[in-house]
Amino acid sequence: MHEKEKDLIDAFLRGQVDRRGLIKGLGAMGLAAGTAGTLLNLGQTRALAADFDWQAHKGKTIKLLLNKHPYADAMIADLENFKKLTGMNVVYDVFPEDVYFDKVTAALSASSPEYDAFMTGAYMTWTYGPAGWVTDLNEWIKDPAKTNPNYAWDDFLPGVKNSCAWNGKPGGALGSEDAKQWCIPWGFEQNNITYNKAMFDKAGVAIPGNMDEMVAAAAKLTKDVGGGVYGIGVRGSRSWATIHPGFLSAYANFDQKDLNVSADGKLSAAMNTAGSKAFHKQWVQMIQESGPKDWSTYTWYQVGTDLGAGASAMIFDADILGYFMNGGDNKMAGKLAFANFKANPAAKAATPNIWIWSLAMSNFSKDKDATWYFMQWASGPEHGLFGATKMDFVNPVRQSVWKDQGFRDKLNKSYPGYVEMFDASAPGASIKFTAQPLFFDLTTEWAATLQKMVAKEVPVDEGLDKLAESINGQLKEAGLG
Amino acid sequence: MEHTSLLERILRGVALTLVVIFFMFPIVWIFMMSFQTNETILRIPPQLIFEPTLANYTALITGKLMTAAGTLDIAFMRNLWNSVFLSVTSVAVSLLLGVPAAYAFARHKFRGSEDIAFTLLSFKFAPALLVLLPLTLYFQKLGLANTYIGLIWVYQLICLPLILWIVRGYFEDIPADIEYAYRIGGHSWFATFRKIALPLAGPGIAAAGLLAFIFAWNNFVFALVLASADKQPVTVGALAFITSSGIQYGQISAAIVLSITPTLALALYAQRYLVEGLSLGAVKG
Repeated sequence: MHEKEKDLIDAFLRGQVDRRGLIKGLGAMGLAAGTAGTLLNLGQTRALAADFDWQAHKGKTIKLLLNKHPYADAMIADLENFKKLTGMNVVYDVFPEDVYFDKVTAALSASSPEYDAFMTGAYMTWTYGPAGWVTDLNEWIKDPAKTNPNYAWDDFLPGVKNSCAWNGKPGGALGSEDAKQWCIPWGFEQNNITYNKAMFDKAGVAIPGNMDEMVAAAAKLTKDVGGGVYGIGVRGSRSWATIHPGFLSAYANFDQKDLNVSADGKLSAAMNTAGSKAFHKQWVQMIQESGPKDWSTYTWYQVGTDLGAGASAMIFDADILGYFMNGGDNKMAGKLAFANFKANPAAKAATPNIWIWSLAMSNFSKDKDATWYFMQWASGPEHGLFGATKMDFVNPVRQSVWKDQGFRDKLNKSYPGYVEMFDASAPGASIKFTAQPLFFDLTTEWAATLQKMVAKEVPVDEGLDKLAESINGQLKEAGLG
Repeated sequence: MEHTSLLERILRGVALTLVVIFFMFPIVWIFMMSFQTNETILRIPPQLIFEPTLANYTALITGKLMTAAGTLDIAFMRNLWNSVFLSVTSVAVSLLLGVPAAYAFARHKFRGSEDIAFTLLSFKFAPALLVLLPLTLYFQKLGLANTYIGLIWVYQLICLPLILWIVRGYFEDIPADIEYAYRIGGHSWFATFRKIALPLAGPGIAAAGLLAFIFAWNNFVFALVLASADKQPVTVGALAFITSSGIQYGQISAAIVLSITPTLALALYAQRYLVEGLSLGAVKG
């Protein structure tokens, strides 16, 4: 590399030159954008290497288990830089999302040493952690000899970082002092509104600012857009995944909880309060009036596909689902917009529940120190910025990436309202569930009850009372209630 | 000669047409979807007229899949090859082991023969997930985890009981006197098995082999749990088109068309043997 280009890139990495200055400077030196990107990667690699012995595990190989996801694609696209930086080799298995967690569970429950690190959701670690399948990462994060000085653990969004830490006690607060860091957040999803602007304009509907407005807006869109378009897409299958997106985000905004935790640590159902019943009635009414016809089969895929194909006018689901539907060969690509959603008129801000794709270390890994080298690189600020600006690594979990003007410009250009939505709701974004080992069973039963309410098989009040009774019974049986 | 009225013939024709449409519609629709883009597939309402494209097949064969989140590498052809390899070799091994065993169970009553035969049959009824975790542990110790040999071995749980029991029934239907006559002529036991029993049981063996092949081809969970991504069959590989950035309906349809082609071709070719073999083997004389 020529000295001038090298100096300019080093100045950028030291923060003395901004991104625009870097691009302008490299352009003046006659470098194309692609070449500049390559040089920047090389510069980042050198900068990383300067302060830390990245070559401590040179020659070692680690194996990853990955889900087929844009986050994994971004990492694979940047993997050569890690190999150059460390001299390590990384091999990986990528499995489709539909079977991914079956593969993870099979590997971990068989104590397989095959995989050193793997992608997981924070909810899954509530099972994996107490079972002894994953390692508490505090041991590495807090050891300056093993973690590079530029890692900046405090740079992670606090709500997201804390959501991946749990002390293992049922009902224990996420991110508490004694919490174990079961996984490192990698990328995450907030639940907000993605809407079809042309349909909103046609029906003369404004972006809803609370639950009442959302119910009314969805009904008006269903009535006035025409062509079989329905007002709002939300998930409805008999699965925990129906509860965690829009539903729980709005529910939590009304200060409602899934479970109560008593002073002595006992858990009990909290979804049959008056406030919860009122919210459930609104939610059920909204689906009955303005949801998809076969709502009870709707998962992430159907909610997204309908929005992308122009069959629904808005979704209250993961922001990145809207992000994906606004691109590719979707009919509505480039026509979608984003808004944060505060369900409770009395609430100060949105409180989205979140899904976090994270990296966890297998407790059966044969070389945990080497594995941590990969994990700190993959969750580090440099790779985060690469993924966010060069690939589709949304939403990044680091505050520094969100402050990057290049990333914000990229979003503002093609995803109207995305940055504002993020800025407004990120401070309140965290996991709103109570951490406990029966999470999947209880939330699946909650979804089943919701299905019965929407199908008018049971009135809302009665359905929630029965659900609470059943959940309390299960908690007692498991020694948690 | 049986006479049928015109009305009866018309009604019969209409009924047959309706039945064919009912059963063939999903396959025809998938075939049509395989020549469309996601955008045309998701049109509201769905339309029968479209501009066909080979893009889905091209994506599968070249291994490059375009999605909302950019280009993804897919390994569908590798998955297809894995399915062919695992199914063919598993059935071949099962035939080599199962046909002589079936003959032994049919012809030579020995102590514990029924117990052994039923034990082998019970493999077919064991829930796959129940046996997979212990198997994973053993395979790790034996060095068989993530190997084709290990998978072919496990596939015997599917193929061997099926072949053994179908072919056993068929051997039992062949009159033993034919074999005795041949033995009296001074021929050995093995020559009798090879020259008399095997040719007579041919259709039954073909039918059992074909069924075992279809069962092996459709298996999903064994390779998923016991092997890495590079050894996954087409049943797992086809799921790669369901991504968080959207379902690639066109490619998934093309993948279904490609993956059912080998079994469909084999089934059509061997249909005669299948029906004949199964019906003969099923009825004891």
